[in-house]
Amino acid sequence: MQNTSLKQEFLKNWIKGLQLHSSFNKNTTIFERRKAIKLSADIAIASTRNSTTRWSRALIADASRDGSNKTLIEKISGREVPHKASLGLIRCSKRILKRSRFARRRAAPVAGLIAKKLVKSRTRALKRLVPGGEGMDEISLIKETIDYIVSLRVQVDVMGRMATAADRLIPFKTI
Amino acid sequence: MSNRRSRAHQSSGSSRISDDQIIELVSKLHQLLPEINRGRGRRSNKASANKVLQETCNYIRSLHREVDNLSDRLSQLLSTIDAESPEAAIIRTLI
Repeated sequence: MQNTSLKQEFLKNWIKGLQLHSSFNKNTTIFERRKAIKLSADIAIASTRNSTTRWSRALIADASRDGSNKTLIEKISGREVPHKASLGLIRCSKRILKRSRFARRRAAPVAGLIAKKLVKSRTRALKRLVPGGEGMDEISLIKETIDYIVSLRVQVDVMGRMATAADRLIPFKTI
Repeated sequence: MSNRRSRAHQSSGSSRISDDQIIELVSKLHQLLPEINRGRGRRSNKASANKVLQETCNYIRSLHREVDNLSDRLSQLLSTIDAESPEAAIIRTLI
């Protein structure tokens, strides 16, 4: 798998997030550390998309709902987290989007034979797995899924290398 | 963009365009999936699209699990993390 620059950007973003966590409190529980590591990694990989994909926007918006994540998200993505009021606006426009999607369906089928026969349950399951998937049509869903999988693989690859490196260094670390 | 145009006309020509688009996307997705589950030969488009979607869901779930497992491992291995840490330096040279 290539994606070298993507891996580098993810690593850079991820470390930014991890550094923030370190500066808070040396006496964090392992549970808090785990949460910080995973959250930083998720925001980091989503930020590599620069809001160009829906899954990445949905992931960050979801994390933004928890106010305590605000600093982390802003540090990693370099963007300001919208105030709670404007998050409501985003939710409102999702409703409008859903309404117009329904209207479109009544006017004409979205795609042809094969699309109609894509098994609904499979699509439903996929929509639940991809962040922001619920509001997508079939074609967008597949496009977003492709990008999401590529990003997940980068995330797993870099996190895995970090774990391996940390593992190997343990005998040389003073605890 | 061609989607919007083809949706406006209900001719069979437009549904062929959308079908092709979906076939192409599904096959791109198919190429991302792990080798093991690809199976042999091509059955009907419908069946393989269904299978691809199923394998995709399984694959995404397994990637999510890997992220969780790695987060668990890392929380045990890393006490403080900073840019100067030896781990970060090693990763940078590897990427």
